Amino acid sequence: MSIKERERSLTRDEILTGYLLSAPSVLALLLFMVLPILASIALVFTNYDLLTPPTFAGWDNITRIFGDKRLGICYRNSLLITIGAVSLNNTLGLLLAVGVNRKMPAFLKYFFRTAFFFPVLCTTSSLAMIWGYLLAQDRGIINWMLGQIGMEPVRFLTSTQWAIRSVVMYDVWKSCGYLMVLYLAGLQGIPPSLYEAADIDGANAFQKFRHITLPLITPTAFFALIISSIGAFQIFDNAYVLTDGGPGDASRTIAMYIYEMAFKRYEMGYASAVSMSLLIILLVLTLLQFLGSRKWVNYD
Amino acid sequence: MTEQTVSRESVVHLAPRRRNTGRIWKRRVIGLLLLIPLLIMAFIEIMPIMWMISTSLRDPSQSFELPPDFFPTSFKWQNYYAVLTSEKIDFPLFFFNSVKIALIVTGSQLITCSAAGFAFGRLRWPGRDVLFTIFLASMMVPGQVTTVPIFIIMRNLGAMDTHWALILPGLTSAFGIFLLRQYFMTLPAELVDAARIDGAGFFEIYWRIMLPLVGPGLSALGVFTFLGSWNNFYGPLLFLKSWDKMTFPIALVTLTGYMGMGNRAHVLAGVMLSIFPVLLFFLFAQKFVIQGIALTGIKG
Repeated sequence: MSIKERERSLTRDEILTGYLLSAPSVLALLLFMVLPILASIALVFTNYDLLTPPTFAGWDNITRIFGDKRLGICYRNSLLITIGAVSLNNTLGLLLAVGVNRKMPAFLKYFFRTAFFFPVLCTTSSLAMIWGYLLAQDRGIINWMLGQIGMEPVRFLTSTQWAIRSVVMYDVWKSCGYLMVLYLAGLQGIPPSLYEAADIDGANAFQKFRHITLPLITPTAFFALIISSIGAFQIFDNAYVLTDGGPGDASRTIAMYIYEMAFKRYEMGYASAVSMSLLIILLVLTLLQFLGSRKWVNYD
Repeated sequence: MTEQTVSRESVVHLAPRRRNTGRIWKRRVIGLLLLIPLLIMAFIEIMPIMWMISTSLRDPSQSFELPPDFFPTSFKWQNYYAVLTSEKIDFPLFFFNSVKIALIVTGSQLITCSAAGFAFGRLRWPGRDVLFTIFLASMMVPGQVTTVPIFIIMRNLGAMDTHWALILPGLTSAFGIFLLRQYFMTLPAELVDAARIDGAGFFEIYWRIMLPLVGPGLSALGVFTFLGSWNNFYGPLLFLKSWDKMTFPIALVTLTGYMGMGNRAHVLAGVMLSIFPVLLFFLFAQKFVIQGIALTGIKG
C-alpha cells in the first residue's frame, strides 16, 4: 500500500465495503476451516463413533498413539516416501529447470515444458491406474523391458520392499514438473549480469552453476522443500490406487491410516488424535527446516 | 533469458577472434549433448501417456500385447463409444456430475476470493490482519485434520451423499484469497486515489476498475480450482455413496475393480476421458497456470 493510500483517512464507507466484500469468504472459512480445526482438537479428548453421543475420553486417545504399532509403521512409510519423493523431486526439478532455462529454439522449450508439466495437472488417481498397468508383475510393460535386458521380473506393487518405491516412483514421475516450474521461476530471478561477469572471468558452465545458480536458487529451494515435504507427508491417492497400502501395511501412508480409522472404523476421536499428531509433526518439520535454513539459504 | 544469452555473446566478441569460433563450436556441441538427458526425461514423462492414448484406440484383445506399441496402430473409437454408452455404468452422468460440481465451485471461488482478495489487499478495516493471519496459518493445516469434523458437520446438515458436501467446503478458499490478494496488491495505488477523487465508491473501484485488471490472476485461480475439484478423489470417496452421485475419477477407480483387468482398453478410454479437461486447460491457459505458481509457489 502506498503512502498516499495510508494517509487517506479511514472512512466508514471503506470499513463497510471491507466487511461486506470479505464476509462470504470469512464466514465460509470460519465454518469449514477454523471451526473444524478447533473441533478436531476437542475430538481428541472424546470417543465418538457417529452413532452414539460422544463420551469424554481424557488422555486415552493420546496415550494410545504411543502404543500403536500400525501407526508407527505408517509413520515410517510416510517418512520414507517423503524422504524419497522430496529429494528426487527437488533434484530432478532443479536439473530440469536448469536444462529448460538454457538457450534453445522456442518450440523445443515449449515441448519440454509441456512434457514435464502436463502430468502435474492430471488426475492423480487416474494416472496411478496407468502406472498400475505399467508396473504389473504379469504382462506389465516395465517388467517386460527388464526381461529384455535379462533381469528377473520385479513385484513392484506386491512386494514389501518395492511397494513404497513404486509409490515414490509414481510421485516423482507425476510431480517433478511442478518443482521444475517453481525452480524455473527462481532461475529467471537471477540477474543475467552475474553470468556475464563470470564469463569475463573465464568461468566454465559447472563453475557458474556451482557458484552463481546454486547459491542464488537457495530461497526457492527452501520454499520448494517445505511445500513438497508437506505434500509428500500427506500422500493418499497415489498409494490408495497403486497398492491400497499393501502388501499388509507395507505402503500404508499416514493419511490412509487416518482414513481407515475415521471412515472405516468410525473412531473419530482416535482419528483426530492421529491427525493432530500429523499436524504437530509437520509443524516441527517446517520449524526445523526454518531453523536449518539459516545455515544454507542465501538471502542477499 | 534472451537478454542473458545475447549479452553473453557480445562479451565473447571482446575476446580474440580465433579462440572465439572454437569456443562457440564447443559450446554448441555441449549444448546439444545437454539436450540428451532432457529428451530422455521427456520420453519417460510422455511414454505412459502415449501408451494410454494408443492402447485406448486399439482393439481390447490387443491391449496386453508385448512389446508395447507407444504409437497408435489403429483408431478404434469403439472403446470410447463403449464406455460412453455402457448400459451398466452411466459414464456421461459421472462426467456431468464432475463438471457440475467443478463449475459451481469455480464460479463461486472467482467471486468470493476476488472480493475477499480485494478487501484484504486494498481496503483497511478493523480485524483484517488478524483474520488474514488466521487464514494463512490454517493453509498449513493438513486436510486430514479438517475432514473428520467436516464429515460430522455434513452428517448433521444432512448433506451426506449429496453434492453439497463437496460444494459447500469449496465455496471459497484461503489459497484463492491469498493468490488474488497478491495480484490486487501489484496494481498501482494511484488507481484508487484517482477513482476516489472522481467520486467512485470502494465497491465500484473493486468491480469496475480493479477486477478487470487482475484477469491473469482470475484465470490462474479458475484453472487451479476447476482442476482441483475435477481431480478431487478424497472428498467423493468420503461423502458419496450412491452410483448416480459419483464423480468421474472415483467412478473410474471403483470400476476397475468391477471390470477387472480384462477390459483394459475400456478403462484406458475412461482415463483418457478423465484427463480431457486437463488437456483443454493446458492448451488454452498454460501461461496463467505457470504464472500463478510462480507468484504464490502453490498449485491450489
